[in-house]
Amino acid sequence: MNQFRKTLLGLSTAVCIMGMTAAAQADTLKIGLAGPATGPVAQYGDMQKIGVMAAIEDINKAGGVNGMMLEGVIYDDACDPKQAVAVANKIVNDGIFHVVGHLCSSSTEPASDIYEEEGVLMITAASTSPSITEKGHQMLFRTIGLDSLQGSMAAQYILGSAKPARIAVIHDKQQYGEGLATAVRDQLAEGGLKAIMFEGVTPGDKDFSALIAKLKKEKVDFVYYGGYHPELGLILRQSAEKGFGAQFMGPEGIVNADLAKIAGDASEGVLATAPKSFDQNAVNQARVEAIKAKGEDPTGPFVFTAYAAVEVMTNAMTATKSTDTEKLAAYIRANEAETAIGKVKYDEKGDLMESTFLVYRLHKDGSKSPAQ
Amino acid sequence: MSEFSLYLLQQLINGLTIGSTYALIAIGYTMVYGIIGMINFAHGEIYMIGSYITFIVIAGLMSMGIVSLPIILIIALVVAMFMASTYGWAVERVAYRPLRGTNRLIPLISAIGMSIFLQNAVGISQGFRDVALPPMVTGGWALGNPADFEVTISYMQVIIFAVTFVTMTLLTLFISKSRMGRACRACAEDLGMTNLLGINTNKVIALTFIIGAALAAIAGLLLGLYYGVVNPFVGFIAGLKAFTAAVLGGIGSIPGAVLGGLILGVTEAMTAAFFPSEYKDVVAFGLLITILLFRPSGLLGKPEIEKV
Repeated sequence: MNQFRKTLLGLSTAVCIMGMTAAAQADTLKIGLAGPATGPVAQYGDMQKIGVMAAIEDINKAGGVNGMMLEGVIYDDACDPKQAVAVANKIVNDGIFHVVGHLCSSSTEPASDIYEEEGVLMITAASTSPSITEKGHQMLFRTIGLDSLQGSMAAQYILGSAKPARIAVIHDKQQYGEGLATAVRDQLAEGGLKAIMFEGVTPGDKDFSALIAKLKKEKVDFVYYGGYHPELGLILRQSAEKGFGAQFMGPEGIVNADLAKIAGDASEGVLATAPKSFDQNAVNQARVEAIKAKGEDPTGPFVFTAYAAVEVMTNAMTATKSTDTEKLAAYIRANEAETAIGKVKYDEKGDLMESTFLVYRLHKDGSKSPAQ
Repeated sequence: MSEFSLYLLQQLINGLTIGSTYALIAIGYTMVYGIIGMINFAHGEIYMIGSYITFIVIAGLMSMGIVSLPIILIIALVVAMFMASTYGWAVERVAYRPLRGTNRLIPLISAIGMSIFLQNAVGISQGFRDVALPPMVTGGWALGNPADFEVTISYMQVIIFAVTFVTMTLLTLFISKSRMGRACRACAEDLGMTNLLGINTNKVIALTFIIGAALAAIAGLLLGLYYGVVNPFVGFIAGLKAFTAAVLGGIGSIPGAVLGGLILGVTEAMTAAFFPSEYKDVVAFGLLITILLFRPSGLLGKPEIEKV
């Protein structure tokens, strides 16, 4: 009896799942959008959402892909690796085979293993950790350059243009921040500039006075910070209060209007490597206006990389006349695509051939301009 | 003074500032534990709510065109203390009182649940992002030669020391001199007996939660202004540190909470001063374990007598 019940339950579940997949593939194609919708870095998730939704809207207006309308389904991983795994499983269970995301490198990495196994095509618009593509996954691509490129770009700028006398490298002990900070420190050392300090801070901490006093004592005149804006914002604010006036520099994780809100005047002139401002590209002008018309911000660093991620997918779908992820992955790997972020071409690992980063100077009103 | 001693002085000031605020929050843990033997894990969230209310009141007053700093701060303080006390009272009434007298583990789980509930409730209504306030109290004193090493003490740091000191003194006077304070001490000694003697222990316990929440609101205001940033998760980390301070000083003892807070703050600052700052928590919590090994009831705690 018990055995029979189990079989029945199993059968009915199987029928349900089959029914769901069939319905999903009838005339709409669901694109999963995985990233933080809540949590401390939710604003980056918003950028990704703005880009993906704008792309889906534009593509649907132009008649969809292969006769199918696209539909974006949002999944919240809160930038938490554990939640990312749960989200990845949910996406698989929901019968979605095309995902834009995840956002944080530490979420993308565990989720990508699940997608690879289940044959889900995944394009991340924001994860820059080099280790993500090291595993040789076939289903994983990015529309953003690598951390290591960002690190070497920062190191080149420091050695070539900033030329500080005493530099400290600080990070937030996370995969993203520490990875970048290590890359910068090593490349500076190769260029003959030794970092005086290399230290981690605890994410979520509010008091950095001890660290700042130490930087001040060591007479540091340049600080590279690997991490995100909440901690750097406070470090800048407390540095200004304590009369520590070094030049700060960070990765694209600090490029966010909230940095200016937290640090106020102290955020003026901070340097950052960030993806090129794709909202300036001529091809994107109509899209920028459309996003602005909806009352959303088109200037975030991940808006157009996310837009491009959708384009890379749909472009391959149109070319192969299929939604089969194996075919799509093979096509994307072999062919160039024209997207919102320019020509996209992939190497064997699924990384972009060309860097998409530039050094910017941030301003206290939240804007940024290219640094000299 | 030499550069080294100036640097030491600066780190001591930094440590004492952090320590004072740990102490203010730690009192809420220690008072509740002293009386009903329960860890109120939602206490850190009350601190976070105090910070949010401060921010909302300040933003509201500034948009109404009130610019006088003392008036803004006093109104914010009163409103924050009142609102946070209401939360403290409500949390006790809803989540702990119905569970009193059951297994000790049950109110503890209820407290953790309350903590997560408040974090997310505030996050959903106010957003999960950092909310920032422009610096309100700026400036300070500087000591030493700027070319060498300059010690800075901001007015805000001085305010934090002063407010913490005054609050502690008032609280100690209240506990030792007033009628209600005596009732508190009686409850701490033997809750059942105090009840038999005709003191409304429910009222005393509710008052303990209200006082603890009011102190957490003061800490919320001070730290909100000092750091200028609040998010729904600040209560969790601050609460953890304050709880550690309370245990270090001897949970249940009010002077112990103050001492524990200051020791924890100074240890953190001094570790960050002479070792890479990632060792800050390693050393601070290593110290906690060491002290507990030799004095299991904390620095000023009385040895635990199992209540029947």
